[in-house]
Amino acid sequence: MDRIKKGLSIFAFFFKIGCFTFGGGWAILAQMEQEFVNKRQIITKSELLEMVAVGKSAPGIMITNISLLFGYHVAGVFGGLCAVFGIITPAVIILSIVTLFYNSFKDNYWVHAGLTGLRAAVVPIIGSAALSLGKDALRTPPAVVICLAAFCLSMFAGVSNILLVLLGVIGAMLWWGSTLVKKERVPEA
Amino acid sequence: MIYIQLFLSFMKIGFTSFGGMSMIPLILEEMTSHGWMTAEDLSNLVAIAEMTPGPLGINCATFTGTQTAGFLGGFIAVLGVLTPAFTLTLVIAVFFEKFKESSVMRRIMFVVKPICIAMILSVIVTLSSTTYFVEGTVQPFSIGIAALMLYLLIKRKWSVPKVIISSAMLGVIFYGVVPMVRG
Repeated sequence: MDRIKKGLSIFAFFFKIGCFTFGGGWAILAQMEQEFVNKRQIITKSELLEMVAVGKSAPGIMITNISLLFGYHVAGVFGGLCAVFGIITPAVIILSIVTLFYNSFKDNYWVHAGLTGLRAAVVPIIGSAALSLGKDALRTPPAVVICLAAFCLSMFAGVSNILLVLLGVIGAMLWWGSTLVKKERVPEA
Repeated sequence: MIYIQLFLSFMKIGFTSFGGMSMIPLILEEMTSHGWMTAEDLSNLVAIAEMTPGPLGINCATFTGTQTAGFLGGFIAVLGVLTPAFTLTLVIAVFFEKFKESSVMRRIMFVVKPICIAMILSVIVTLSSTTYFVEGTVQPFSIGIAALMLYLLIKRKWSVPKVIISSAMLGVIFYGVVPMVRG
């Protein structure tokens, strides 16, 4: 009974988040941070970023992957399923309706005006999440260097996100291996 | 059987893409090879997907499925595109929860988290250039809305839904009412 209750509340949370996830999905981050890190303190900033890293690297849709990881973390497989169905339900309902009224919708003057305003808010929404998560992830100089290097590779060399994460994982494993050989104390990561 | 074809097509798209715009070429290939959609339909679809909330992949699957085989088709296509999440990502989730305290995972996360921030920053740069500078002209209203929303988000701790609704309302005023009054 408790599990079903938990699953339902996860579904409800993600349903709400799904209604407001505009702009390529990264806006989910800001909402999860507000809802689960700040307000309810279910996960830490650090855990949220870990879920994003894993969700982005797994195949499929990043947002549903992150939802699944969160749901699984909180309430196992059932929780994961509830989170995924929660986040997609608004999209499916809205898209089904829009598909039916596609032609009158796409050329509507007022719809267009509202959406232009809405699009202007996507960058600040993602930016506020980046600011707050960055404070957590970039506490040490090496972390800042890694972030800047990855940013340059992505912006100026067109390296894809997946490749960036892969390079990071390989680098981290080499780093781990080298400290094993040196038998150094593992620093707090 | 159109439903099985839809499911298989979107399962393939799900497994071979990583969400967002990276799905578009794959969707185009699947749709045109089955004769379900033309390239023009697809560009309309991207426009719709950007106007509506939710993941692009889910929006694409719903739209294509609904157009080709009604509501049930939409539902089946969505299930197809979700297959990687319900299989591979679930397995990853199980392992991740188990091993995240291990020393090698801590190292990996130490490196990958800053990379994540970098990815978000480059998304911000790309989105800014298309939102605030449209075809070479600065969009003062959009920049104004963005500055106000940033202030409300950070200093006033506004929630995301509140910010989305207010900026849509400001959009109706500045991009709807204002040009109309000016003629």
